[in-house]
Amino acid sequence: MKKNINLILWVTILLTSLQFKAQNTTPLIQSKLDGTVVDDITNQPIIGASVTIKGTTHGVQTDAEGKFYFQTGQKFPYTLIVSYIGYKKLEVIVEKNPVTIHLKEERQELDELVVVGYGTQKRKDITGSVASVPKANLSQVTSSADNLLRGAVAGVVVTQSSGRPGASSSVRIRGGNSITAGNEPLYVVDGILIYNDNSNSSAGVSNAGASLNVLSTINPADIESIEVLKDASATAIYGSRGANGVVIITTKKGTKGQDNISYQGYFGFQNISKKLHVMNASQWASLRNDVQASIGQAPSFSAEQIEAFKTSGSYDWQDAAFRTAAPVQNHQLSFSGGDERSRYAVSAGYFDQEGIVLGSDFRRISLRINYERNYSQNFKFGINANYSNSLSNGVANNGSGGRNPNPLVSVLLTAPVVPIRNEDGTYNVKNNIYATSVNGYVPNPINDLENTINETKINRILTSLFGEYKITKKLTAKVAVSGDVINTKQNYYAPANTTNGAGTKGSASVGDRLVSSVLNENTLNYNTNFGENHKFSVLGGYTLQYTQGEVVTAGANTFVNDANTYNALQDGVAVKPASDAFESVLKSWLARVNYSYKGKYNFTLSARADGSSRFGSESLWGYFPSAGFSWNITDEEFANNIKGVTEAKLRLTAGTTGNQEIGNYLALAQMGSVNYSFGGTIYTGLAPTRLANPDLKWEKTNQYNVGLDLSLLDRKINFVFDVYYKKTNDLLISVPVPLTSGYASVLQNIGGVENKGIEIGLTTENLKTENFSWNSNVVFSANRNKVVAIGNGVNQFFPVVPNGSLLQQQPVTVKVGLPLGTFWGYRTNGIFQTQEEVNTQPKINSLANTKVGDRKYVDTNGDGVITALDKGDLGSSQPKFVGSFSNTISYNDFDLNFSFQGSYGGKIFNALNQQLEISTLGTNANVTLEDRWTPTNPSNEIPRATSSPLGIVSERYVEDASFLRLKLITLGYTLPKSVSKKLGAKSVKFYVSAENLITWTKYSGYDPEVSSYEQNNLYPGIDFGSYPNSKTFISGLNVTF
Amino acid sequence: MKKIIITFLLSAGLLVSCTDLEVTPTSFVTEDNYFITQDDAVASVTAVYASLSLDPGEQSLFGRNLYFLTDMATDYAAAGVSATNPQVRALSSLTHDATSDRVQVAWRQIYAGINRANVSIDNIPKVSGSEVVKTRLINEAKFIRGLLYFQAVRLWGGVPIVLHEPTSIQLESLKSRRESVDNVYAQIISDLTAAESLPAVYTAADAGRATSGAAKAILAKVYLTRKDYANAILKAREVINGGYGYALFENFQDIFTKTKKNGKEHIFSVQFEPNQAGNGSSGSTFQATSFTGFTATEPADIISDVSLFYDIYEAGDTRRDVSYAKQLLNPTTGTLYTFPKPIFKKYLDLTNLATPANVAINFPLIRYADILLSLAEAINEQGAPTAEAYELINQVRRRAYGKPINTPDTTVDLAGLNQTTFRAAIQEERKKEFVQEGQRWFDLVRWGTLVTEIKKVTAKNSVSEKNNLYPIPQSERNIDPVGLPQNPGY
Repeated sequence: MKKNINLILWVTILLTSLQFKAQNTTPLIQSKLDGTVVDDITNQPIIGASVTIKGTTHGVQTDAEGKFYFQTGQKFPYTLIVSYIGYKKLEVIVEKNPVTIHLKEERQELDELVVVGYGTQKRKDITGSVASVPKANLSQVTSSADNLLRGAVAGVVVTQSSGRPGASSSVRIRGGNSITAGNEPLYVVDGILIYNDNSNSSAGVSNAGASLNVLSTINPADIESIEVLKDASATAIYGSRGANGVVIITTKKGTKGQDNISYQGYFGFQNISKKLHVMNASQWASLRNDVQASIGQAPSFSAEQIEAFKTSGSYDWQDAAFRTAAPVQNHQLSFSGGDERSRYAVSAGYFDQEGIVLGSDFRRISLRINYERNYSQNFKFGINANYSNSLSNGVANNGSGGRNPNPLVSVLLTAPVVPIRNEDGTYNVKNNIYATSVNGYVPNPINDLENTINETKINRILTSLFGEYKITKKLTAKVAVSGDVINTKQNYYAPANTTNGAGTKGSASVGDRLVSSVLNENTLNYNTNFGENHKFSVLGGYTLQYTQGEVVTAGANTFVNDANTYNALQDGVAVKPASDAFESVLKSWLARVNYSYKGKYNFTLSARADGSSRFGSESLWGYFPSAGFSWNITDEEFANNIKGVTEAKLRLTAGTTGNQEIGNYLALAQMGSVNYSFGGTIYTGLAPTRLANPDLKWEKTNQYNVGLDLSLLDRKINFVFDVYYKKTNDLLISVPVPLTSGYASVLQNIGGVENKGIEIGLTTENLKTENFSWNSNVVFSANRNKVVAIGNGVNQFFPVVPNGSLLQQQPVTVKVGLPLGTFWGYRTNGIFQTQEEVNTQPKINSLANTKVGDRKYVDTNGDGVITALDKGDLGSSQPKFVGSFSNTISYNDFDLNFSFQGSYGGKIFNALNQQLEISTLGTNANVTLEDRWTPTNPSNEIPRATSSPLGIVSERYVEDASFLRLKLITLGYTLPKSVSKKLGAKSVKFYVSAENLITWTKYSGYDPEVSSYEQNNLYPGIDFGSYPNSKTFISGLNVTF
Repeated sequence: MKKIIITFLLSAGLLVSCTDLEVTPTSFVTEDNYFITQDDAVASVTAVYASLSLDPGEQSLFGRNLYFLTDMATDYAAAGVSATNPQVRALSSLTHDATSDRVQVAWRQIYAGINRANVSIDNIPKVSGSEVVKTRLINEAKFIRGLLYFQAVRLWGGVPIVLHEPTSIQLESLKSRRESVDNVYAQIISDLTAAESLPAVYTAADAGRATSGAAKAILAKVYLTRKDYANAILKAREVINGGYGYALFENFQDIFTKTKKNGKEHIFSVQFEPNQAGNGSSGSTFQATSFTGFTATEPADIISDVSLFYDIYEAGDTRRDVSYAKQLLNPTTGTLYTFPKPIFKKYLDLTNLATPANVAINFPLIRYADILLSLAEAINEQGAPTAEAYELINQVRRRAYGKPINTPDTTVDLAGLNQTTFRAAIQEERKKEFVQEGQRWFDLVRWGTLVTEIKKVTAKNSVSEKNNLYPIPQSERNIDPVGLPQNPGY
């Protein structure tokens, strides 16, 4: 109670003092001063900056035009102290009226505060490798936060799995450490630890296709800053979740000062960036004739018909599948501000994107409240709450799989002589003699795309509450409790005339997944100095995370008609429902000591002990220590005279981190249910599906890092250089075991992977005059990944690619000495041109009846036949290096941003093209088959037409994925203050922007940034039925009132 | 004020202490809570049977996958336009190799079933319950194990013999070397001999379980394949005269009629029921791949050559129109639809053309007609056809022509043949009788006529002597190249 009285008193004093400030006294006036405060780089006025005359209490704030005015008893010259949040405090000696003061943004400085695990640190004191995503990157048009990392930070490679709105992506920080377990970094959103597991966006509805990105539930427009923690010194504090790197996302908070209302909005459209060249009707008819000839059938098409197809009767199925000018729009309204004791930021966002493929879209509504209050001088509390509701329609898979994993592939494979629509405008779902009819329907992929319902709705609440109490001046206790609830509902309906519905007269299913995670973190922070020179900061804590999930799916088929879709399962024949539940617990102790001597030598020691329920009973706890050292060389006397060097810092770190992302219960032997019937009644049987492994434990990564930070020419050039080496041991591998054991694989801690590389970040101020400035940011990284061991005398295995066509082709391998994602296959050697060549040269075993016109392969082991032993390394999906080059140019009220992104040396297995170059009687093919071998066209590139060639992995289909892309170009215009003021606004900005405008690549598929199997680390870089990428053009408006 | 904060901090501490790291799964059964009661034993043997009919994500062993090896890769069956898997087309044209996914899947399915049998055989002794039931269940598991090894030894030759569940996850302990053909057969005979003590008959609710008659019937086929004609004759006669009540259906169609499941001719069938494999699927895909609706679209499974395999049926032979359909009544239009080429019909459920993946026609793994013809073959191979041998083949023929089975009928009965012509007659009869029943490849290999017969079909002229065995899957040999030498020619 006594405290409360104090509080009231304190508030009263505060209010009174404010009133006093407003009073006008008339002292002796010695000088008048008109001044303006502007941003050092953009020359934009800074609103609400505080300007005080040094040595007095006389202070004012800048107005909406950044202007301030003094009438004072002081005589020139006197010193002004100018400060504004986010900018470096400046002292300026004023000699005459008027004055323009340039404030430098604090983030350019070494004493900028950087968000690190469980706290903040001055950049100058940091020992680890921590990079911030540049502000310019944060304003990209994207549905998902992880895309903001693209090309932003050295050492981070973001691969979007496809061009679908809300598509998942894989993020690799310094290469992949793990072969089968998760490789995604840990995300920490306002202190809440999240592993971005895309299975959380799936409720288990079959055929739902590619998964939705769970991070798309976080509105990118709410993000204030993103930091990436890369080395062990920075990530070991996250212990068993730190090995893949950590991405710390901080959302926008209110700041002391004026209340702001701002609106940000854009509207744009997207088009497919590239079409594939498949045959037209005339070309295909002649191919079919050749295929028929190869198996002794009479031709289907006469020469006249083939000629006639050139003018009519050819249908472009690709055109029918893609939308033109698919709209995208985003609206964001935010309120923010604060006073002496409270700060708030409230926002609402709406994002709506139609996909470039028929039937696909993504929409998100998001709300956020961030609030923080100083309850007393010693206690503050706050809440960060985020709610989002997203709805996405995606392309469903084809249940039959194989050559046609989804309608996007069927679109390309459908014979071009088949009409897309009937004369009455309805889709042609009957009249296609070249494909299988099921229950009278021949599925039409365009109809599949448009009329199959495949929606995913995600509601997510992500909330954290914290209280921070200063026990003494030096000791602070913080308690945070956060909750993350993800509810995913999936609805699926394939009408009776679609691929997935035809067999069962309609197929409906619904699924619901509810995952909730509660995290409690308790930390103590102790900061102290011993004398001038010794600065200590100690952190200790205990955390607990409990996650629980429940999944249920139900479905039915055989409906009377398609009217009720998935909403009346009871009207159909029920299929067996399914439900699942899981829980996991992670308990941790953590500690960190920072010690700094004179600010010159900095040491960081950290450790975390993690206990996880996911692991075997024999190894529940893991320990993860790290050590770091940094040396600010320019603080040494000898360095004072080095010309041009403003700052130089050397960093050395080492440590151990872990990876626990393997899924739940995998250490236990599992029995699965299987059915059989006796006497016409179905009974449930239980069969073993997994062998137990009580020793199952963490994957451990040891990482070493050497870094150099260099600022030259008064920080006009800033250079960050890192070299690292990572070795991951105890890798969890689903080791294929002989099928004779009754099992296909066993999960063991058996392997090792090594990553090493260099990273360079370079920011430069190229030009700067009164009205013009040009800044650049270059990011470059090269990572070399290598499998070191996969255990027990095994040095190679072939991951099972879950697709009927790719299953036995085994296009990817994991082999000791080679990087993950290595493609494995034959090398081609031209075409057999004569019977003599056929008789004498090596032939492939699987095509025993090799004829003239068939493809030759290289007999690498020289045994006279082509067998699996002749297969070899065809390159890896991992790029040799990646980089980006971003520029910000401003001229008066205009600003121009453009960034290039590139990747060099990675490969893609173009499984789609492989299928398109297989000629059959019923499917369309790549136009490259126009050049097929015939007696009159002795091609040495494309073999003769046949009806059943096997899909063979060869270097022809392992393509160079290198690319250079003009990723983003934005031109903005900010209205002059005088104009915006008339409109009642503080600032008004218009901009136009284009994304993916130009891509230079040799890759023949839709887009070289692709991964059909999404986050999977065993078979990345396979392109088979991925959603194509788009070019996006938008125009936008940002207004602040 | 301080109190509030202390309470706040303390409550956080409380949250900490209430959770444990040992989490027990609630959504699946682990080995710790299994094999305790007799119900567990029953469920484990149900899973052994299910290895014949269910493989999530794949076509099941007897639901079609084995068909690629035992039928499509022979003379009469072929891959139609709708068969788009190149590996299937390769089998059809006899150009498959060790990387064939169908061969690998069959290998996996067979050994997964063997492992399930091993798990049951190893663990059932320790459960509580009736010893009689436990012994029966173990013998049922042995029956399936023997049956699966019998498939494996014929498909690949000497295969690894695995008789216990794995107890370690160490790779070396999971590897198994190829054994001699003789050793595999010794194991098969041992398992099936144990299974001879199974009940002769079950209650209607348990219809479909392995019986002693089924064990003897498979044994007869084992001995026939081994050319041990004396034992083949012995076991076949036990099946016929052992009081099991087996007999031919009067009507050939009844073998494939839903309402006649597990009838008097069915000695052992793989059971299929709607939704048995979950999600609108019985586990048998024969209907879906034989019939593509009333359209001209060629199905995935087709007859290779109409003149060699359809036109050969004589007038009055009812087997032709049960095995194939040239015409079918379209129930929606009420009119007869004529297919461009006869389609396979045995597994078509004409009352359920709408959901072809969810029909309830069993796969007759061994039926009485097979025993009759096998006995006739064994007798003939011992020297010459006897009166008994003529009666056996003639019963099958009389039924085929719709005649009274046990009444001699000169219009269909065979007579006056020598060993060679009688052998040819049996071969011809089996070709017509067992279309799509997983017999053809085994028959051709047993007779030594695989290459000559298949070569008669032009599109299949890639066949060679190596095709008398299938290749060991390459993926297996990648793991254990030493213990699993490849079969010759691959």
